[in-house]
Amino acid sequence: MVAVLGLVLAACGGTGQSTSPSASVSTPPASSGPFTAMTYPEQAVDCTANGYHGEFKQIKAVDEHTVEFDLCYPDGSFLSKIAFTAFQIQDSDYLNQAMANHLILAKPVGTGPYMLSDWTRGDSITLVKNPNYTGDNPPKVDTVVIRWSDQAAQRLVELQSGTVDGIDNPGTDDIATIKSDSSLKLYPRAGLNVFYLGMNNNPKVDGFDNSKNPFKNEKVRQAIAMGIDRQRIVTNFYPDGSTVADYFTPCEISYGCVGDKWYDFDATAAKQMLSDAGYPNGFTTTIALRDVVRSYLPDPTSIAQEIQTQLKNNLNITTTIDVQESGTFLDNASAGKLTGLHLLGWGADYPDQTDFVDYHFGPGASDQFGDKFPDLIDEIKKGAQSSDDATRQAAYEQVNKLIKQHVPMVPIAHGASATAFQADVEGAYAAPLTDERFYTMKPGDREQLVWMQNAEPISLFCGDETDGETFRLCEQINEGLYTYEIGGTKAVPDLATECTPSSDNLTWTCKLKEGVTFSNGATFDANDVVNSYALQWDVSNPLHIGRTAAFDYWGALWGDFLNKEPAS
Amino acid sequence: MLRFILRRLLLAIPVLFGVIFVVFALSRMIPGDPCRAQLGEKATPAVCESFLHRYGFDQPIPVQFGVYLGSLAQGDLGTSIKYGRPVTTVLWERLPVTVELTILALLFATVLGVTLGVLSAARRNSIFDVGTMFFANIGVSIPVFVLGLILAWLFGVVLRDSPISLPPSGRFTAGIVPVPLTQAWGLTGLQGPLRAIADFVGSTAILNALLTGQWKVLGDALRHMILPAVALGTIPLAIIARMTRSSLLDVMGLDYIRTARAKGLSERLVVLKHGLRNALLPVVTVIGLSLGGLLSGAVLTETIFNLAGVGRTLVDAITGRDYPVIQGMTLVTAVMYLVINLVVDVSYAYLDPRIRLT
Amino acid sequence: MATSNPTFEQAEELLSSRPANLWRDTLRNILSQRSAQVGLVLLGVVILMAVFAPLIAPFNPNAVMLDLGQTRTEGAFRNAPPCIHLLGCSPAYTQHLLGLDSNLRDEFSRVVFGAQVSLRVGFLTVGMAIMVGTVLGAIAGFAGGWADNIIMRLMDVLLAFPALVLAIAIVVVLGPGLVNAQYAIAIVAIPVYARVMRASVLSIKERDFVTASRALGESSAGILWRRILPNALTPLIVQGTLGIAGAILDVAALSFIGVGAQYPQAEWGSMIGAARNVVFVAPWLVMGPGAMIAVTVLGFNLLGDGLRDALDPRLNR
Repeated sequence: MVAVLGLVLAACGGTGQSTSPSASVSTPPASSGPFTAMTYPEQAVDCTANGYHGEFKQIKAVDEHTVEFDLCYPDGSFLSKIAFTAFQIQDSDYLNQAMANHLILAKPVGTGPYMLSDWTRGDSITLVKNPNYTGDNPPKVDTVVIRWSDQAAQRLVELQSGTVDGIDNPGTDDIATIKSDSSLKLYPRAGLNVFYLGMNNNPKVDGFDNSKNPFKNEKVRQAIAMGIDRQRIVTNFYPDGSTVADYFTPCEISYGCVGDKWYDFDATAAKQMLSDAGYPNGFTTTIALRDVVRSYLPDPTSIAQEIQTQLKNNLNITTTIDVQESGTFLDNASAGKLTGLHLLGWGADYPDQTDFVDYHFGPGASDQFGDKFPDLIDEIKKGAQSSDDATRQAAYEQVNKLIKQHVPMVPIAHGASATAFQADVEGAYAAPLTDERFYTMKPGDREQLVWMQNAEPISLFCGDETDGETFRLCEQINEGLYTYEIGGTKAVPDLATECTPSSDNLTWTCKLKEGVTFSNGATFDANDVVNSYALQWDVSNPLHIGRTAAFDYWGALWGDFLNKEPAS
Repeated sequence: MLRFILRRLLLAIPVLFGVIFVVFALSRMIPGDPCRAQLGEKATPAVCESFLHRYGFDQPIPVQFGVYLGSLAQGDLGTSIKYGRPVTTVLWERLPVTVELTILALLFATVLGVTLGVLSAARRNSIFDVGTMFFANIGVSIPVFVLGLILAWLFGVVLRDSPISLPPSGRFTAGIVPVPLTQAWGLTGLQGPLRAIADFVGSTAILNALLTGQWKVLGDALRHMILPAVALGTIPLAIIARMTRSSLLDVMGLDYIRTARAKGLSERLVVLKHGLRNALLPVVTVIGLSLGGLLSGAVLTETIFNLAGVGRTLVDAITGRDYPVIQGMTLVTAVMYLVINLVVDVSYAYLDPRIRLT
Repeated sequence: MATSNPTFEQAEELLSSRPANLWRDTLRNILSQRSAQVGLVLLGVVILMAVFAPLIAPFNPNAVMLDLGQTRTEGAFRNAPPCIHLLGCSPAYTQHLLGLDSNLRDEFSRVVFGAQVSLRVGFLTVGMAIMVGTVLGAIAGFAGGWADNIIMRLMDVLLAFPALVLAIAIVVVLGPGLVNAQYAIAIVAIPVYARVMRASVLSIKERDFVTASRALGESSAGILWRRILPNALTPLIVQGTLGIAGAILDVAALSFIGVGAQYPQAEWGSMIGAARNVVFVAPWLVMGPGAMIAVTVLGFNLLGDGLRDALDPRLNR
């Protein structure tokens, strides 16, 4: 019967990888013959035309080892963004050969310390040392095997039995077991996320009378800010290492924890304030949430019930809990349709304040919290557009002060996680951005390092991916102009020796490392950078294919695409 | 006979169409949209709009159904949103795991089940018989997932340091990379249906290792498959054992057995040669019927033991709203099941001519 | 005069009244079967557990021990092992026969209350399936022709899917929850009862006494109710009993995957699903509810076997 099925399927559609002829690209090949510097696009983009609101104006290779980025507006988080995994550099020739037929999704080529040796789908990925790697981080072990399981118990059993050397996200109940086992070592990971209780001061619902909306009143919001015992929530429901959120942004992110801390918990004062605001007997509302576990929300329904109890006891606010389907809930939140309280959170994409405050409270933010606050927007803009340390520090101090004053939401917790390794693995650690690099690790005197994470990577071309399990693999194989420091969030040079801004912050010039080759022998030069960025930026670029051609993170971080279809 | 087969085939066609329709309808009725599920929840509405447009999900449903039927007619099951590869490719990678697991479980259940059934019938009402039937009853009643978890715990943790420890999950130990058939035999240039079959065999763990002589891989793969096969096969084992016993007892009371005994044949010959052959008829039916249960149970077993098979992939696809995979795999599973039922019916009719007349 | 031309009433009486002893005899037959006996005992235990749950269970199944302040401080940790005073656990500590689960609730109480859920689930699911299935089967059998064809093809479509796969798909469409899981399993189980009913209808439809009744003017509905249903009753009861066992297993499987009973409901399948992540450190959390599922399913299976042996005159073992 297998034979019959095989005949049918093979006759009709074939099962092997389809090989279509490689797409022809109008850009010259980058690594053969004399160097022809690329400029993309030939005519610099008109920043104000056609509703374009992207950050880039033009990207050009000045010479073989210099790239220049011309921007439409200044960006203080530029270095942090180019270090992001989605913008790693690919080889131009290989892009031409392997993008159109999707080969690049399964067989990546990069400049990193490891290269792909084997991918047994559903089972494991094997990486081996990249012989062409000449960088500063030669791997300490030649072979890395990556496996996965979505069950924390399975990961722990494998770790305990010695069949794997390291695991990601041990379960909350397993932490004690790992700590008490001297052959294992736990590495806590600070949570680059925030869980908050959101409020909408002006919901966009037909027929909704906002004059009756208690959350319209800033004093009410401040009362709630004071009336929740956030420490108790963290202690009872969050894993070890989690912290109470004294600011919206976690402290591991630069300028996250500057300025005034959040209100102390004071139920009496809160009740008084609520009464002064015109609600001496409290009021009734809803708590909307989705029953989805995230590192910022490990137990949604229990935490919702806890908050419900606290609101009743501390403030006499009566609530009903409304569990919604995940997609519907997110849509409702961003459309401003949630009229009561809501529970949501945010995990960092890239480690900068702009990823947190701009997205939620900045000029382009959604209607999740209702009407925006102009003074807050001004300060956020100041912080986003400057790359000067003193200016950004001052701006974000004001941002935190204004968030505390206006209380669009109450930040509650930063949820921690961890990794665990065999005690004899030197150089093991947990990265706050979950981008653990295996080149630092030496598994005792074993010849291979075995790592078990939560899920299988989806593809190995991270330009068109959003998933952390996938990004971790790309970090071993490919490199970007900058990268994040080991175990931290600061952007440090990688393929670029340095990127410096012009005095008006509208041009960034990156000098590239020399003598770098890809794992397939191709030389790395400035055209590779231009091509890698251009294929994502320009919808009409023949290489704008990826896996789903969504290039989600490009739109999120750089604002807009070139030649996108006009909105229907 | 031929008319019987033809009639059954003809009746199967509207059923097949019904299956296709139900599969399509169900997968589209799943709430939530594929954009968020595939691109992550931070996908902006603009990105989602172009995503849905690219995959044709913004067309009206009847149009989508028409498109789907059209591509089905060409043998195209669509492209998985999650994996970016044709559904047939993904299916062809994962089906061998499920087939291997199911066949091993069935082998375990049949061989052990028939043996136990025969022995029980031969020693009717002895301690052995009563004990076996007692355990058979229990075996039918324990849920697959409970049994799987307990076995994993027993052999993976409790007996971890003993020589009979077994791995609690996965197909291979880390570092053991099987070489697929196509590579080992230098068949990479092959195309077409033969290549498809070679790929399929190459994706199995045990058969592939056996054919290419990779003994270390074979041993490793077998060790990993023991627990899942036992967990999955226990319910069919119990059913087959009981059925064999009762069927054999039925037959043993018949006249021709008495004749054989009177002729002076040894008891073993009487039971095995004369009794078993006729007693096996209902057992064959039961085996055929168990296959449906095996496919269902495979979903649970694959989840517990972390095997990337069709069942597991289907459940993941349902969560991820990967419509092409949901439709494709459910369809293939249902078709396989239909074919198996058809074969069982036909063989039963072949063996028992009375059935043909219904 | 009395015997040559029986009146309608007399014929009625002959046809419809079963002698009262027939029921008693049947019952005695059933109870003499060993499997039925054991089955009834097992089910008796489960039913008692369900009925007297509030008395047997020491705690509220959803109560989190932290709030009650009745456990030793070190003891109120997640997945605490069982503390049984009779077996040596110090009397200073609160007794938890099966320990605590991952949310600090008493596992034993949850297992006991789970009996209510499982029994209810089993009966409701099979009840729904039988109601719909028998109607469809009766229509198909009676009407024949294209109605029969369509209905039977529909049943075939349902049967073409592996049961769990179809059930998962239906539940995901309806939304997770115990009630929807019941609907899903009921839908998947309908074809079995439809076929049984149809077979009964077909086998009786052409019999003489039916033709006689019809000739005497009895309506189709009456024939259905008075002649066919009693005959179909036997296989329906047998199938139904076995079906309850299957339904309990299937709903537990759905809850295990996460699409059936939702937190914090104490249902055996979802309890095992929740304990899946700690099975290697707290296996009793799987064994407790797992054993209960096995006992309940075994009970129904044995009872069904016993019923079949007793009620089916062809099987004389």
